[in-house]
Amino acid sequence: MPLVKSILPTLLLGAAFLLTWQLYCAMAAVSPLILPAPTDVLRALVVERAALAPHAISTIGVATLGFSTSVAFAFVASVTLHFSPWLQRGLMPLLVASQTIPLVALAPLMILWFGFGILPKVLLVILVTFFPILVSLLSGYGRVPQAYLDLLKAMRAGSWAIFRRATLPTARPSFFAGLKISATYAIVATIFAEYAGARQGLGIYILTAKNSFRADLVLAAVVVSAGLTLSLLAALRLIEGLTDPAQRKSRNAEG
Amino acid sequence: MLRVEGLTLSVKGRALVTDFSCTLEVGQITCLIGPSGCGKTSVLKWLAGILAPGIDAEGALLLNGQAIPRPHCALAYQPQSDALFPWLTIAGNAALGLEVAGTGPAAARAKVRPFFPDFGLETCEDLYPDQISGGMRQRAAFLRTIVQDSRFILLDEPFSALDAVTRLKMQGWLCDRLARVPRGVLMVTHDLHEATQMADRLLVMSAGPGPLAADIPITTPRQNRSEAALAEIRTTLKNLLLET
Repeated sequence: MPLVKSILPTLLLGAAFLLTWQLYCAMAAVSPLILPAPTDVLRALVVERAALAPHAISTIGVATLGFSTSVAFAFVASVTLHFSPWLQRGLMPLLVASQTIPLVALAPLMILWFGFGILPKVLLVILVTFFPILVSLLSGYGRVPQAYLDLLKAMRAGSWAIFRRATLPTARPSFFAGLKISATYAIVATIFAEYAGARQGLGIYILTAKNSFRADLVLAAVVVSAGLTLSLLAALRLIEGLTDPAQRKSRNAEG
Repeated sequence: MLRVEGLTLSVKGRALVTDFSCTLEVGQITCLIGPSGCGKTSVLKWLAGILAPGIDAEGALLLNGQAIPRPHCALAYQPQSDALFPWLTIAGNAALGLEVAGTGPAAARAKVRPFFPDFGLETCEDLYPDQISGGMRQRAAFLRTIVQDSRFILLDEPFSALDAVTRLKMQGWLCDRLARVPRGVLMVTHDLHEATQMADRLLVMSAGPGPLAADIPITTPRQNRSEAALAEIRTTLKNLLLET
């Protein structure tokens, strides 16, 4: 019941949006080539499901590989920068600058440098998702209460012990917040990379559909992409819940 | 015996504490009181070896006549807040000091377990800090401090976050525990009532930098410390604090 209650506003608003869209298409008699109605998109999704599936699987593969690699890199980089303030001061402006590179310029260059294989796509996903995770980790490390640090230092804990016992666990909520932001970019970045050049994937599917003036197929691929992003977010939320010490026995202590 | 000799603390050349000296004995509770900003907490943090980087310090810390480095295993420090880690169970928090000192997690938990009933925490081992009351959290913090087996304990206003009734209970409770597991305690407090009820000795710091304003032993046994018996000493303290 709490789950239904929490998603009810989203469901109602989503339904209202789709209904308005459907009514507009019916009443304004827009050509389905320009704006297909939600029912047209749904039909395309059902009819094309066998064709869409391998593309979706390819996109999931690239996005998962890129995202996991990005998380691993961001974690290692965050620990390195945490222990080296000099490096952090030096690298952060460069990392910020790296985020200002337009993907539209970089994606074709990646293809040019690394070919049509998986590498340029994975690199693009890393480039897009790495920064939010790194920044959220570093900001989480900075939030460790002074009392925790004092306590551990007075216990004669070394820098690594302090990091492992207090700094890292403190950064947990920030880490997951960063992961969720990055996860929403991961699928979009993969599709963009595929759009710039690929043999398979939702990006190339969208490109082909667009070139055939099949707006319904473009939107069907968009629905799949949104579904993939939501699934990724749900998986992250599940991992966060399962690994959280707060998900524990019912409260049974004195008031 | 732990002795602080000629401790001077300064920030950018401005003296915060000058020529602070005192002696702590095992089995004795010493309360450090003084007006706000006189440097009580800084003295305690210097002893714990966790003075903020901007504060310069000069002075010596002697354990039985031998100069010792800080932080040192003979001194356990308890911050003002209970500082229990929310991601560890109460048993995990209580064992933290032992684990940091190199005891394995299982051995450390085995060592803290027998203390739980005496600390009124027997049902809380596997609970998390936000699942227990403020008084229990404070007892868990004391357990974490006491199991470290340090001869001296540094307490920074340990009862300041508790409500009045819990505070009174905890003061008596701590004195009882310390009677069973003797430690030399240096406790910073603002509360004159608390200081006079608990302390064997009172060190009064002056507002400005300078030597101690007073070093007052309280010889009345704790069980005989009625309001009337303590009235005179409290008046003396109030006068001292208002003068300084």
